[in-house]
Amino acid sequence: MDLTLIVVLVIALALFFDFTNGFHDTANAMATPIATGALRPKVAVGLAAILNLVGAFLSTEVAMTISGGIIREGPGGVLITPELIFAGLIGAIVWNMVTWLLGLPSSSSHALFGGLIGAAIVGFGTSAIDFSVVLSKVILPAILAPLTAGLIAYAATKLAYAITRRHDGKPDGRDGFRHAQIFSSSLVALAHGTNDAQKTMGIITLTLVSAGLQPVGSDVQTWVIVTCAIAIALGTYMGGWRIIKTLGTGLTDIKPAQGFAAETATAATILASTNVGFALSTTQVASGSVIGSGLGRRGSKVRWRTAGRIGIGWLLTLPASAAVGALAALVAHLGVIGVLIDAVVGVVVIVGIFVWSRRSEVTPDNVVSEVADSGRAVKIKRNPKPKQRVKS
Amino acid sequence: MIDWIDFLIVFVAAFLSTVVVVSAYSLGIRLLTVSGRTPIVTPAEFTDAITIVTPAEVRKAEKRAAKAAKKSPLSDAQKRAALVGAWACFVVSACAVLFGIYLIVGEHVLKLLGLA
Repeated sequence: MDLTLIVVLVIALALFFDFTNGFHDTANAMATPIATGALRPKVAVGLAAILNLVGAFLSTEVAMTISGGIIREGPGGVLITPELIFAGLIGAIVWNMVTWLLGLPSSSSHALFGGLIGAAIVGFGTSAIDFSVVLSKVILPAILAPLTAGLIAYAATKLAYAITRRHDGKPDGRDGFRHAQIFSSSLVALAHGTNDAQKTMGIITLTLVSAGLQPVGSDVQTWVIVTCAIAIALGTYMGGWRIIKTLGTGLTDIKPAQGFAAETATAATILASTNVGFALSTTQVASGSVIGSGLGRRGSKVRWRTAGRIGIGWLLTLPASAAVGALAALVAHLGVIGVLIDAVVGVVVIVGIFVWSRRSEVTPDNVVSEVADSGRAVKIKRNPKPKQRVKS
Repeated sequence: MIDWIDFLIVFVAAFLSTVVVVSAYSLGIRLLTVSGRTPIVTPAEFTDAITIVTPAEVRKAEKRAAKAAKKSPLSDAQKRAALVGAWACFVVSACAVLFGIYLIVGEHVLKLLGLA
């Protein structure tokens, strides 16, 4: 197949993936401020789109991790082909669709890494993957970042409640956290742009390198940054219509102080991680924060069944999308016909996603916001009795 | 090679910044309440997730806040000091956020704009 044609195909598919990423994650980034009524859904969606656009311009660390780290390129390494990247993307998109169908929470980012890794292994064997980078920049952050965010959100929620608590029963002014949420959720959207838009930039840069259009290890090109930023912002904006009905099924118990603490923890964790090049899943970090902040409130306990289901979805994503990516890569090895088959399957899946997401009913089984889903992993008593202050 | 230091840096940086931002803002709210200006902010729009607040409930909350403010044992000067303190806290919180963003992306943005 013509080299430029496949490059154009991969870039188009990558941008589409970026678009769906924004489309899917608006609900996650803006779930808490809408759930507490800090922002009108329309305003929240617009704000998220703009800040995702801005965020995409702010860093390239994560893009460099993907384009330069995971797969060994250059002398002594392998030269990944655009066909394999194409197969990896197909793997990611197909797995995303499957998890949507099954109502399993997953992460677009991990699906992307999984697909890419699977395709590269089929293409060149396990030596193609720099497993130490995968471990230190993808897998470990995947486990540690949600935990970090959860712990921080827990502490922050405790703090916010402790500082504003009135033992005399007078109004505590916690309503005022709604104003703060406007800023903290904006920060989450910004952080989302700095981490998630980067992943597509990394893929496109990897493609350009593999096609010999850009030297190995070079910076992300400006037009790539601009198109990725626009794709994710557009996706974020278009994804907004789904938000309201998604929220009806989850996050009913979030209070402004708690939402503020969770959002601040999410934004801080993502921004700090972006800075050291961890390619983490913003969805999982936000979910970790929501669970942590829920546990920071009095009278709360974990619903282990829900939490377990979420955990399993996360664990499955990387290996499962790697399997699909590997399969797609095997097919792509057949040559032009293989790539065509992959493309057809990809189109069918994309149309499927679209049709599925247009379905109006949202039940706990097909909820589309993982953050709202994890909100239900914590059970909070309606009106826990206040603790008596010990008189000294 | 796994950079464990990186994980530690992320944890400490995120923890400290969150604690500073959230404590400063919470303290601001606390002081605002002490100064007799309890913020009453109703939800912007009622989605399914939000318990509906009726206008009557809002009036009631405002009345309660006003009553609590009237009963406050603090002098006017103390209340003014609390109000100034509250805004100082909000400013500290905002500055912490801006400084954090600057630390992370400042250099990159300056380069992007051709200033550095």
